[in-house]
Amino acid sequence: MKKPRLRRVDTFVQVHSQVKVPPKPGYNHRNTLLAPLSSRVRTATPVRPCGSLARVDLNAAAGRRRLRLPQRLGGGWLRRWRSATIATASLRRARSCGACWILRIRIPRGDAGVLELGMAGSCPSVAQKALLETPSSRRLSTPTKMNVRRGSHRARSIGRLAHVHTSGNLEEQTPRTLLKNIILTAPESSIMTPKSVVKPVPTPQVVRSSRQESSRGSLELQLPELEPPTTLALGLLAPGRRKQRLRLSVFQQEMDQGLPLSQAEPRGNASASSLTSSLSLTFASPLQTQSVQRPGLARRPPTRRAVDVGAFLQDLRDTSLALASPGDSLRTPVATLPTDTVLEDTQPFSQPLVGHSPSVYHSLPFLSHTEAENSERAVSRRTQSSGSRLQNHNPGKPAQLLAGKAKKIDVLAVSLPNNSSAISGEDGVEPLQDGVGEEAEERMEESLSVSEVMGSTGTQGSVRTEKSKGHGEMTEALEAKEPEGSSEDEDISGRTASPELASSTTEFLQARRPQFLEPAPPPSTTVLSSEPLEPLPTRHHPRARTHGPRPRQDPHKTGLSHYVKLFSFYAKMPMEKKALEMVEKCLDKYFQHLCDDLEVFSAHAGRKTVRPEDLELLMRRQGLVNDQVSLHVLVERHLPLEYRQLLIPCAFSGNSVFPAQ
Amino acid sequence: MAFSTTVFQRKYIKRKAPRGFLKRVFKRQKPHLRLETSSDLLVHLNCLLFVHRLAEESRMNAFENKYGIIKKEHVQAAAKITKLSTNFKLGTTNLGTFGLHLKKLTFRSYYKTRFCELLVSHFLREVD
Repeated sequence: MKKPRLRRVDTFVQVHSQVKVPPKPGYNHRNTLLAPLSSRVRTATPVRPCGSLARVDLNAAAGRRRLRLPQRLGGGWLRRWRSATIATASLRRARSCGACWILRIRIPRGDAGVLELGMAGSCPSVAQKALLETPSSRRLSTPTKMNVRRGSHRARSIGRLAHVHTSGNLEEQTPRTLLKNIILTAPESSIMTPKSVVKPVPTPQVVRSSRQESSRGSLELQLPELEPPTTLALGLLAPGRRKQRLRLSVFQQEMDQGLPLSQAEPRGNASASSLTSSLSLTFASPLQTQSVQRPGLARRPPTRRAVDVGAFLQDLRDTSLALASPGDSLRTPVATLPTDTVLEDTQPFSQPLVGHSPSVYHSLPFLSHTEAENSERAVSRRTQSSGSRLQNHNPGKPAQLLAGKAKKIDVLAVSLPNNSSAISGEDGVEPLQDGVGEEAEERMEESLSVSEVMGSTGTQGSVRTEKSKGHGEMTEALEAKEPEGSSEDEDISGRTASPELASSTTEFLQARRPQFLEPAPPPSTTVLSSEPLEPLPTRHHPRARTHGPRPRQDPHKTGLSHYVKLFSFYAKMPMEKKALEMVEKCLDKYFQHLCDDLEVFSAHAGRKTVRPEDLELLMRRQGLVNDQVSLHVLVERHLPLEYRQLLIPCAFSGNSVFPAQ
Repeated sequence: MAFSTTVFQRKYIKRKAPRGFLKRVFKRQKPHLRLETSSDLLVHLNCLLFVHRLAEESRMNAFENKYGIIKKEHVQAAAKITKLSTNFKLGTTNLGTFGLHLKKLTFRSYYKTRFCELLVSHFLREVD
């Protein structure tokens, strides 16, 4: 039976701890070793096997009872330390230490105290021996044996032991010893109470930190205190990053509050989480240490996500800065726009778009000039789409359109974002701005079909068009066109307005547009719906994407690719990729046919399992197996040896045939 | 016992049969059927031979048209020819199988036809 040793040894040591011991938390063996010298003699029932040190305390208690001595004495920490040392020593080297021999010795009562002394004296030595395991210590232990017997030179021996062992102990600093020291020096209640859940958590951290520091026991107390904060900080990063990832959704939801708020939130949350979850730190810090020790094992997803958020925020800030400077050259807003628009594409909400709106407005006149260039088209489309998106959010305030760009921005900020409308706005803007006929048609169609904005926007758009007509300003007209083109679902008024707008802004737009816009109305929605999907998937790809059919197709294709490779090998000629795809299709069909045939054959035989006989029949029907060429010949030719052995029955020694027929 | 007595000189097979893949394909197609262990390898053999024939045909097509690269059209044409030659889909050659049966049972069917045509058909169905 093995009870917790700490307790047992504690009681044992208490027998001896009546001595006066300096209550220093220092790890000073000399003092502690000298202490038991003055301890009183106790009877000690002989301990039979040295491994059963746990029973020592029982014996001690028995002895105490015999002598009718007081049970427990005061002086907590030293006792605990002693007990802990002895406990750890016993735990480690209960059987191997030479000092254990001392315990076995049967000593008469007179020397009982000496024996115990020897034990007490040897136990610290044992504890240190556990660390060192040097022959010198063993040699010393034998003299202690002698001393025990004599009882005269114990002080010297113990002192010698202490000398040796203290030095030895100081030399070696293993995590175990450090932890042990911490446990010893720690207050009693902390270890024994069930609150140890908190304690073990920091103690491993402490151990780790102490290991890194490799400092002495007395200093370790201070170091662990310093280490947990650092580990806390490290741990914070990981949950902080995770929280940042989670925060994205919250961030998007709270876009109205502004960018700085969203930035502050993840940081604030990270700090808050640190205080609450101490246990989570343990999980976080190991990850950190792992990544530090083995960078290859570091997990990638967290870093990726963090970068996304940071980059996104930075880009938003950049765009806001870009917006702030309207007096830039033609190229700069255009140059910044692609990045902005890319961001904008991912951002369905109006907040970033609001910031973009002035830049878009600025860009629009610039873009109109550079429409001829193909390279600009994409940019212009994007910018226009962003602009249109911004304008989309301005359904109920056409008056502000006339007022000015700044006001528009405010209005846009107020308006609710709408993904589909935004996209449709983009599409609507693109045909209006660009000179590409087909694309313009398609985009217009998209804008008309995909947009799910309220039908009232169409009327508003028409109103806007009228107003824009009246003003004749380029930007306003463009803006009016964009919302009207984007927000309208299938409003004829919108469609009619758009050509009107186009006509009004012929200075910048090509004459083709109205022509394209008119045939746009009667489109095939399916075609249009497919197109908006194209930009959408590309945008949302970095985000969570459902991988439904993917795992199903991949293993099938990888299996087929095996045969496709064989095909390319047998062909001995370079092949086109299309040809390889064709081969895949052929193989698919082939497998289907094969399965059907096998089913028929097995059903013909009245079986539900396909057997090699069915396969042979199949090959015979295919003409591969004749009277001249048997199946075995084919097996021999084309299959590797291992499979041939499995298929073709062969006679082995002992009159056995494998595979069995 | 017999299997263990053999010792392979090499520890890996150069061209392994994708047995798992084949079994999965068969299960997907015919979930109510089972595929035996050895037949798995024979299916692989069949596939190898089919691919071999297909490759040969497509190569010949490419040579005929004096192409250095095998193109999609060559493969398509080759597939048509190969599939015809393999006599896939029993339905296409069902008549042939029935004919075989009829040949076997002409003696019996002769007597059966004496009495009734339906009996003959019934008999044939029983045989099948």
